[in-house]
Amino acid sequence: MNGGQKSSITATVSKYALLLAALVLFVGPLVWMLSTMMKTKAETYKVPPTIFPEHMNFEAFERLFAVQPMMWQWIQNSFAISFFVALGAVVSSSIVAYGFSRFATKYRDKLFPIVLLTLMIPPSIMMIPSYVLFAKLGWIDTWLPLIVPAWLGGAYYIFLFRQFFLTIPQELDEATYLDGGNRWTVYARVIMPLSKPIIITTIIFAFVNSWLDFLGPFLYIKNNELFTLSVGLQLLIGQTSQDFPALAAGAFISIIPIGLLYFFAQRYIVEGVVLTGSKG
Amino acid sequence: MMKSLRKYDTLLFFLFIMPWIIGFTIFFLIPFGTSVFYAFTDAKLPGAVNYHFVGFDNFIHMIDDPIFLKSLLNTMYFVVFGVPIVTAGMLVLAMLLNFNVKGIALFRTFYYLPTLVPIVATVIIWRLVFNAEFGILNAGLGLLGFDKIDWIGGEHTIKPVIILLQVWISGSGVLIFLAALKNVPRHLYEAAEIDGAAGVRKFLSITLPMISPSILFVIIIQTMYNFQMFTEALLLSKGGPNYAAYTFVYNIYKSAFTDLKFSMAMSQSIFLFALISLVTFVLMKISNRFVYYEGER
Repeated sequence: MNGGQKSSITATVSKYALLLAALVLFVGPLVWMLSTMMKTKAETYKVPPTIFPEHMNFEAFERLFAVQPMMWQWIQNSFAISFFVALGAVVSSSIVAYGFSRFATKYRDKLFPIVLLTLMIPPSIMMIPSYVLFAKLGWIDTWLPLIVPAWLGGAYYIFLFRQFFLTIPQELDEATYLDGGNRWTVYARVIMPLSKPIIITTIIFAFVNSWLDFLGPFLYIKNNELFTLSVGLQLLIGQTSQDFPALAAGAFISIIPIGLLYFFAQRYIVEGVVLTGSKG
Repeated sequence: MMKSLRKYDTLLFFLFIMPWIIGFTIFFLIPFGTSVFYAFTDAKLPGAVNYHFVGFDNFIHMIDDPIFLKSLLNTMYFVVFGVPIVTAGMLVLAMLLNFNVKGIALFRTFYYLPTLVPIVATVIIWRLVFNAEFGILNAGLGLLGFDKIDWIGGEHTIKPVIILLQVWISGSGVLIFLAALKNVPRHLYEAAEIDGAAGVRKFLSITLPMISPSILFVIIIQTMYNFQMFTEALLLSKGGPNYAAYTFVYNIYKSAFTDLKFSMAMSQSIFLFALISLVTFVLMKISNRFVYYEGER
């Protein structure tokens, strides 16, 4: 009996040991970033390096905004783009998903597999063709290539909404028709009010994905007034490659919004990942 | 009466899905169609008016570019070595997070955190950690008696560094595996224990077969992703040193935006599409023998 208890304690201790070892791998680099951004520039050149800053300070942030006065603009741009992407994703994908979940037509069963098929198309093969298209439309150096596609139904979100709508009983639709409602009233007054969880998941997921997007803004936007934070930071890597604290400060700023969102709405992000199986 | 109603409803259906139809046409069908068209021309710029049909010339001359083969081999490295390593890493991490101990939710929170770091910030962090002179990694290895290693600047280390970076941001795959592990019925393990099966045996005979659909799914997603490896290589080392991280998509990017050979870039895109489709198809085919679907006899 005693021996059994002992071995279960050993098992628990070794489980925590493994968990902590992996934790160091994941959190270690982030801690190094936090430590670096609070050091003086001179301290980052010390060999061997110090783990905790000797004179904790936030001058790196001042230098960052001095070297790159556009920082505020970029942060605002990223927020604006992500906001419009999230809004568009909810509005357009839910309308399309309503079509794919509530209409009994033969076209539905022919078209929905195509929606799913587009999920399997590697995005990078579309990189050059899309660029050519946007160039022809005169959309280069605007936010349109980043925002407009979100307003025209993203396959992931259509799939998410459809799955959710299928769980809402059809009887509610029929009751609404009896009360004189039409297709649109069912969508707007019955289905959508019942779909809050999936609406929140989609808003958060679309916002996060837009914030994390690098390649889109990098390819389509050359005017630095229109840059997103990610593209701006990339410029900064080239400009101040030896100012480690300022670089760390820039990285930190770009993590904050998503980090906060994650701690308050983790459930929705985890749900979104597991449901779509997408890469966050 | 009934028939016209049904027609009206079909019309409504198309109205509701109209956003998708427009998006699919403009942002998928048209670009894809034009890219197939341009791949057989010698157009230099997007919207070029002066171009000629050159048949399969672009596809034949792809190989003339000495970087082409190198970039293909680099990409294959990320597929052949990267995918198994990253997938195994995800599975191990998911198994750790499946431990039934107090505070496990907190570990899950932190393991996933790096996945939400924007890629540019990730690259900044990795440059700080892996910096040859002042990075914390070499400092730590120095304590163990190792010489300084130029991780990012080294021709043989840059690819492993990128694969390690992929493990760092592999949280989504970890969550998918974790969900699968939680779905394995407990009674299977209990039955195995009664039969006297121990850890490894249980893993091989129960866990692996039960989560094999998720493994296939993650492998396919990761294979597609690694075939398209670009951003990490671009930001971390600009494809260097000596083209060691120069991937296939990097080469497509260069053909289009540096060499201004858009038609060549489109031929290369189509080549990549064919390659990815082929490999995915083969993976699906051979998986039939290994993947266990519940409810299947």
